[in-house]
Amino acid sequence: MLRVSAGKTGRQVDLHLVNGNREGDSPGLPFAAELVALAEAAVQRDEQALGRARHDLLERAGGSVLVDAAGVIGNFQRMVRIADCTGIPVDEHRPNQEEVRDLLNLWRFPSAKNTDAERTEGG
Amino acid sequence: MYFAYHNADLPIRDDLFAAHQSFWQRLAKPGAWFDGRHRVAIAAESRNAWDCSFCTARKNALSPHALEARHDRVSNLPETALDAVHRIVTDQQRISRKWIEDNAKKDLSEAAYVELLGLVVAVISIDEFHRTLGLPLEELPAPEPGEPSGYLPAGAERGTGFVPMLPADGPLGENQDLWQPGFTANVIRALSFVPDAVRDWKNLAAAQYLSIEGMANMVGQDDRAINRMQMEVLAARVSAMNECFY
Repeated sequence: MLRVSAGKTGRQVDLHLVNGNREGDSPGLPFAAELVALAEAAVQRDEQALGRARHDLLERAGGSVLVDAAGVIGNFQRMVRIADCTGIPVDEHRPNQEEVRDLLNLWRFPSAKNTDAERTEGG
Repeated sequence: MYFAYHNADLPIRDDLFAAHQSFWQRLAKPGAWFDGRHRVAIAAESRNAWDCSFCTARKNALSPHALEARHDRVSNLPETALDAVHRIVTDQQRISRKWIEDNAKKDLSEAAYVELLGLVVAVISIDEFHRTLGLPLEELPAPEPGEPSGYLPAGAERGTGFVPMLPADGPLGENQDLWQPGFTANVIRALSFVPDAVRDWKNLAAAQYLSIEGMANMVGQDDRAINRMQMEVLAARVSAMNECFY
């Protein structure tokens, strides 16, 4: 979805942000480092880091950005559990999915087996 | 009234308030497989699991089955349901079809598991929103009386994932509001063995992320302060840190 959105808007984003690498160049993505820091602190349940990340994003981007970011983080803490706890495979219609998963080495995740098994069974 | 966001020193949108308030009301009522008392207990255990010492030990064990379950509990949920709640919160990557089937042979049917999962993840979604913003967690609602309906949707089928789901291309019958036939995704269908769980999914996602229709907009919505790329960076980073392949 990130790559599709970048393509649609003609903006550049370093996909390695997904794996936590914030050193790449993502000029089309305002507050990228602050957003990623907030997501990481929230998932790690590191309250000190979360406090700092919250403060940084609030100072630089404002309350509305912080609120919307918190909404998305909460939503995806939910979505990952729905996917893993029901064992769903990746949908076939997603564009460029193989390339992105190879690029980011996502096959290392345990839940990759749910898609791998489906592909194997499917032929 | 729950979720007094107007007291927070942040510009929290009205649709977030409405979605959270609405879920809290449904949480307190009987569902398809649990009464209100058990549904609120599931919510309480969803919160408790993060600090459960047994869950920490199991997460670090080579196999989730290596240790006999002795959870820290704050409710009288049956043992199988208690273990399921805690595992969904703290060790979801290692949930398997066999574990769900074994639970069904005890006292947690597949449909009850789906309802329980839907409740746990909805509470996580709202609680994580609060925690990320530095807000206190909302007080849980008082359970309402009544019996579960025992509703099972017609047409659910196996073949995708670990639990039965309604078919992507329909017919959905009385559940046709869930999605337009042929226009869905596995993560939307995942909870459809309990259709109300999908309705909760859609209501919360529409406020905290995007509506199903809104997901087609790859640029960004006017009523949001972050664009679609920013949303997807957050989504992808959270997913990667949870080691979620989907």
